[in-house]
Amino acid sequence: MIWLVMIACGLFTFATRFVMFSDIAPRQLPHWLQDALGFVPIAVLTAIIVPAVLISPEGGLALAGNARLPAALVAITVALVTRSVLATIVTGLLALWCLDWLVY
Amino acid sequence: MSSSTPPPIPTRSQEFWAGVRQELPLQLGVAPFGLVFGVLGIASGLTPLQTILLSSIVFGGASQVVFAQLWGAGVPAPFVGASVSVINLRHALYSASIAPYLRSLPLVWRIPLAYLLTDEAYAVTIHRLRNEPPSPHQHYHLVGTGMTLWVCWQITTITGVMFGATIPQSWSLGFAIPLTFIAIVAPAIRRRADLAACLTAGIIAALGQPLPWKSWIILAAIGGIAAGYLTHRHGIREATS
Repeated sequence: MIWLVMIACGLFTFATRFVMFSDIAPRQLPHWLQDALGFVPIAVLTAIIVPAVLISPEGGLALAGNARLPAALVAITVALVTRSVLATIVTGLLALWCLDWLVY
Repeated sequence: MSSSTPPPIPTRSQEFWAGVRQELPLQLGVAPFGLVFGVLGIASGLTPLQTILLSSIVFGGASQVVFAQLWGAGVPAPFVGASVSVINLRHALYSASIAPYLRSLPLVWRIPLAYLLTDEAYAVTIHRLRNEPPSPHQHYHLVGTGMTLWVCWQITTITGVMFGATIPQSWSLGFAIPLTFIAIVAPAIRRRADLAACLTAGIIAALGQPLPWKSWIILAAIGGIAAGYLTHRHGIREATS
């Protein structure tokens, strides 16, 4: 079953990449669709980030005593300043480890 | 006059290696992501073979992370497929933007080139296509960027799978996933509409946690896209009225 879903996901993903290369595709995507698709990365990635930072392993909202929250704020600052994925990952993880060790 | 002689047409191998060279610096961001995906795949309950092949069958980082997390949590297959699909819809934008340069190629070229069309390969190759003179071998540039990313993604996934079991849970390496996405999202928020998309998706994702089948992922994605689009439209209407 999992293989079937993997292959289906792979085929769909390929289709999203191939769609405008095909002979029958229109020359251009409609403007409204272009505009809407432009928001996909921000919406999708934020939907993954927020629970990974704010939700406790038990499934509740974790604000106090949650080292991931200040670590994420550090990472956001580093991302805005350096625009480097590697620097963001390294400082974010270091911040998490330090906070876990020192405070929480 | 030297200015009257046209510049020499770059050869296939020059185009290819230019793509490789320009793509390499981006692997600083791709490599840790691939490692973490390899670790996460195993931690989510996928087998090593499934984790490794996901990287070549789907070949899209964020969607693979979601696939592993949803499948590991026992989410029904249609929801896994729908979530992966929504995440990967953005490729249609890249496909549309790069198609004018590649559409005249035969199908045997367009199929592998489409397969290689990832975020990072697109970003580098579209820059070359737009800013350097067209040449008959320019598609080799995408082969160079795409193959570089592909090889790096496969090697780091396999490495992550091999070492995944030996990395202690206390290292919280899974946190590298949201950190990777923070590095992409934070600098991408430039307009009010971007912020609306981000906040809406984040709030729906946080409040939607009790919903079954992790359907908050797809709801937050669609809600965020709608909020961004509507804010954007509203901004245009205000500017033109």
